[in-house]
Amino acid sequence: MKSAHVRVDMAKCVGHGRCYELAPEIFGEDERGHCRVLLETIPQHLEQDALLAAANCPEDAIKIEKR
Amino acid sequence: MEANENPCPHTGVLNIIDPEFTAHPQPVYARVLEHHRVAKSIAMHSPILSRYEDVVWALRHPEIFSSEMDMQVLLGTQRPMIPQQIDPPLQTRFRKILDLRFSRPRMQELEPAMRQHAQQLIDGFIDRGACEFDADFAVPLPCRAFLTLMGLPQEELDLFVELKNGIIRPPVPPMDMIAATEYRMKTGERIYAYFEKMIEERRSAPCDDMVTYLTQVELDGRPLTHHEILDICYLFLLGGLDTVTATLGCSIAYLASNPDQRRRLAQNPELIPNAVEELLRWETPVSLVPRVVKQTVKVGDVELREGALVNLLIGAANIDPAEFADPHHVDFDRERNRHVAFGAGPHRCLGSHLARMELRAALEEWHRRIPEYEIAPGAVPHVSPGIREQLHLPLVWKAGAGSAR
Repeated sequence: MKSAHVRVDMAKCVGHGRCYELAPEIFGEDERGHCRVLLETIPQHLEQDALLAAANCPEDAIKIEKR
Repeated sequence: MEANENPCPHTGVLNIIDPEFTAHPQPVYARVLEHHRVAKSIAMHSPILSRYEDVVWALRHPEIFSSEMDMQVLLGTQRPMIPQQIDPPLQTRFRKILDLRFSRPRMQELEPAMRQHAQQLIDGFIDRGACEFDADFAVPLPCRAFLTLMGLPQEELDLFVELKNGIIRPPVPPMDMIAATEYRMKTGERIYAYFEKMIEERRSAPCDDMVTYLTQVELDGRPLTHHEILDICYLFLLGGLDTVTATLGCSIAYLASNPDQRRRLAQNPELIPNAVEELLRWETPVSLVPRVVKQTVKVGDVELREGALVNLLIGAANIDPAEFADPHHVDFDRERNRHVAFGAGPHRCLGSHLARMELRAALEEWHRRIPEYEIAPGAVPHVSPGIREQLHLPLVWKAGAGSAR
């Protein structure tokens, strides 16, 4: 079975912080409040959280890929 | 009734100061979105962008849409406010040192104090069964947060409210622009003088607060200049107070007018964080932000010329059906919500984590104590343009029905 991977375009991130609010097990924050990926390969039970974070990023910086 | 149509269907001129528009902008936004990709402001007919796609594109491209503009007449400033009125790459260097002080964990440290401030304000009027929401809660709460954040005594509250009102709503006859400008310049001088004194005090007696940080932090290996520190403090004062005041007012006005939504929130406080986002989207209290065109560019068929002032109608972008499913439905369970009420791109609101903390804490504390309330019968809401503050929002509830702390 394919697993989901998270990819963040750090050039787009400006620190809205929606991802680490909505999916705190997958995303954290650096000291400026920009996104930091905690889990690159997403366990199945967190896939919904990852998709929610991607759908709420105002900079469209988060992609979830199955591979 | 064509004269009253807003925007004008023939010219695309939007009356941004029409009281009906400021109180209930969404139907007007919908018409702008449908018919006028580039509308015109009633002020100087400057172009207005409103589509989500166009607004976000403009916000992300400061090399085309600059934030550097002379706002002395409107803000009483002698220099641009930092970092709001400067462009990258210098703006980015300032954000790197300021973001550290406005991160989510730092704002969470202020949360217990915020809840206490909210409780104290509610104590002051709960037994009356009535309050003027703006003056009694929405204005003092963010001001107290600002004083806490800056490490200033709460006794300064009246002074700071007076200073920010002196800039945003100078007490002069309406439409007397000369008197308004004079008042703003004088108030601006008082703001600079206040912070000048404070900077001197912190330089000689450093402590663990914001201004001390600004006197010690380095930008590219050098300390900040005296003017730079002043221009940052000026922005904190203007940016930190009115925007949260406006958001609290718009949120409570919505909830007072929609009892089913309010009861659901009061009974399920775990919905409040998502409701805050949805109310930010729907109400978009900072409804419009200005930019200056730096290189001539085309939007649809319209050419935006170098040097032109452009308004980005964020409120309209936030109800654009091309981005939001069922945008006129206020849905506290909305799953996909990429609203740009805090802007987007490099100028994303520096205080957004502070604002979110304040809004959540305030709505939680309010509804725990006063779950049932309504707008006083017969009262007509009075909402200011631009930053949509509910200047007159009298609320009533059953006296004695509120909960103790």
